[in-house]
Amino acid sequence: MRSESRKGYWLYLIPGAILLTVIIIVPLAWNVYLSFTRYRGIKPPIWIGLDNWKELFQDADFWASFQHSIVMVVAMVILPTAFGLFLASLLFDLVGRRFNGKIMGLLRAVYYLPQILPIAIAAIVVGWILRPEDGALNDLLKAVGLGGFQHNWLGSPDTALLSIAAVLVWIQIGYPVVVFMSALQRIDPQLYEAAELDGANWFQRFRAITLAGIRPEIFVVVLTCTVAALKVFGPVYALTRGGPGSSTIVPSYYSYTEFFTAQRVGYGATIATALTVVVLAVAIFFVRAQFRLADQEEQ
Amino acid sequence: MALAATLLVTACSGGSDAAGSSDIDTAPKGEGQTLTVWTYEDKTSAMGIAWEEAMKKFTEETGAKVDFQLKSFEQINQSASQVLNSDSAPDVMEYNKGNATSGLLSSQGLLTDIGPAVEAYGWADKLSSSLQTTARYSDTGVMGSGNWYGIPNYGEYVQVYYNKDLFKKYDLEVPTTLDEFTQVLQTFKDQGITPLAESAQEYPLGQLLYQLALMNADRKWVTDYQTYTAPADFHDANWTAAANTLKEWVDKGYISKNSTGQKAQDAGDAFIAGTNPIFFSGSWWYGNFTTSNKFDWGTFLFPGAKLSPGSSGNLWVVPENSDAKDLAYKFMDITMSPEIQNLLGNSGGIPVAAEPDAITDEKSKDLITNFTTLNDQDGLAFYPDWPAPTFYADLNSSLQELVNGSKPVDAVLDQLQTDYDKGVKEIDG
Repeated sequence: MRSESRKGYWLYLIPGAILLTVIIIVPLAWNVYLSFTRYRGIKPPIWIGLDNWKELFQDADFWASFQHSIVMVVAMVILPTAFGLFLASLLFDLVGRRFNGKIMGLLRAVYYLPQILPIAIAAIVVGWILRPEDGALNDLLKAVGLGGFQHNWLGSPDTALLSIAAVLVWIQIGYPVVVFMSALQRIDPQLYEAAELDGANWFQRFRAITLAGIRPEIFVVVLTCTVAALKVFGPVYALTRGGPGSSTIVPSYYSYTEFFTAQRVGYGATIATALTVVVLAVAIFFVRAQFRLADQEEQ
Repeated sequence: MALAATLLVTACSGGSDAAGSSDIDTAPKGEGQTLTVWTYEDKTSAMGIAWEEAMKKFTEETGAKVDFQLKSFEQINQSASQVLNSDSAPDVMEYNKGNATSGLLSSQGLLTDIGPAVEAYGWADKLSSSLQTTARYSDTGVMGSGNWYGIPNYGEYVQVYYNKDLFKKYDLEVPTTLDEFTQVLQTFKDQGITPLAESAQEYPLGQLLYQLALMNADRKWVTDYQTYTAPADFHDANWTAAANTLKEWVDKGYISKNSTGQKAQDAGDAFIAGTNPIFFSGSWWYGNFTTSNKFDWGTFLFPGAKLSPGSSGNLWVVPENSDAKDLAYKFMDITMSPEIQNLLGNSGGIPVAAEPDAITDEKSKDLITNFTTLNDQDGLAFYPDWPAPTFYADLNSSLQELVNGSKPVDAVLDQLQTDYDKGVKEIDG
């Protein structure tokens, strides 16, 4: 009786399964196939076996791009999550209790604003700010007597990647703040009061109540941001196009240039496939870690 | 007269080997039909103005309507292969010339071999041999020989723009040799002025490097480099001298180190603002300077050079999937007619087949005269980034390292060699 009624559920999965197949699985399989071919995008691909993969492993630009991804993970995951936790608990715990909710809402919105801004527009504005000759940052440094620190921010290999990273921290920070603040509303305020009465200071309350309470959200933020950091493309495309030299090249931008500029679709597909493998591995790692932790808590 | 000689140059290389002209109808009737035309030139540009007139004339002569669609350069560049492979391809389209663009599409069978039309309309007689180079492609898509896949109807080249007011202020003459040019740069530097407006994030600096390499180069060197007739050596005397000179100019402050963080527009803007008195770039800036510059300015060909970056403009190509090819050829022929070519010239463009006496605009005359001089001496050397699809980005990134000093000259040349060889292998192999 029960299995009969369950059979009916499968029908509801069909539309989703079709969409998943058409939009995700088929292109993914095609992409993997192309990574074993030489293909310029028009005439049929030619099978070349592992040649692209062999080239990939010896390609200095490819490895450089993955090293830059690590910087992107710091800029888009580690720093925003850490700051986000701090800001969210500050807003919730201090600002929210001492001032009215409107101020807290306003501050939250301000942090979230860069997330709403289209990356192309943000990048144009940032590009202006960082211009070497008449950019706002250099002008500002000069105006406050720090002219010695003026720099060709996006045009020097020593600061280009860090400049993009700084922009990404700014863009990214609103996301964890908003997620963590809504998570914090789940926590019973009495816990904080009780801890406070027991003499726990702010940091102790933060560690024992806040951190422990919103752990699932931290997992979600870290996972989604890590995936976003590995796939980052927009700011690199708009600000530096991978330069100067190859000092800001990242895997998705590299794959894009191979696809559309070099017309080496096969090799571009190889980079994209390698990136997909890494993203999947990271996602599986996080999801399993989260399940493990949830299991431990249940026990 | 010199103008006449070049503008009506007789082609020296023969026409296409393709079938005779018998199957081309040079007076097609188009009642009830529509010709779809895609271009990416702004309507207010010289080409935009001339082609709009051409469309009117086309409708008068053939009775066919024109469905004109203005696209962006990037839009056509990035999606051409997909669009031309579909049944929504236009009948005639403006497309970028070179191995990586028109060459690639022709080698993949997406463009019509227009040889018969070239013969029927006599277009080859209107184009000098260097202008023909970008119109013909081999089976593998390498320019310079093989079938005709496009027709250019305007030209472009790179020259020196200079701020006459500032030259006058410091008592400077237009230089005629590289040494004199260097002295001019030094004079400005002595006055605390960075002489050259440059950008290493985009093309201007790459073209300057190429120009310096061209100082002692000959046509064979250019042909070898652009069409792989002999291996290019980035450690040869020409490239080495060019890279060393450029490095020296950066070290002496003729070029700002900040150019690594600047785009072409930034460099152009700095020239317009009067910050830097010299800008070495393409004729495509001409119209902009005419309207924006608040000072007296002029142009000259790079001093002491017989060869300079330059080529035909973009091409009219006919997609293989077009079903109105005779009408497409007719339209192309109208854009090559004296009436439209003269209009192009008088609107600030560089026509390839105008009647010299009909060009009345003084500024346009200057622009066309420089082009004529260059074309007369077989001086159009194409562009440094053409030989390989990614070489534009490769060249810019290498030059950024040269300007930064993060790589020595030798290592920069090594990098260019690697990138060039890799790209050429992809096209040729």
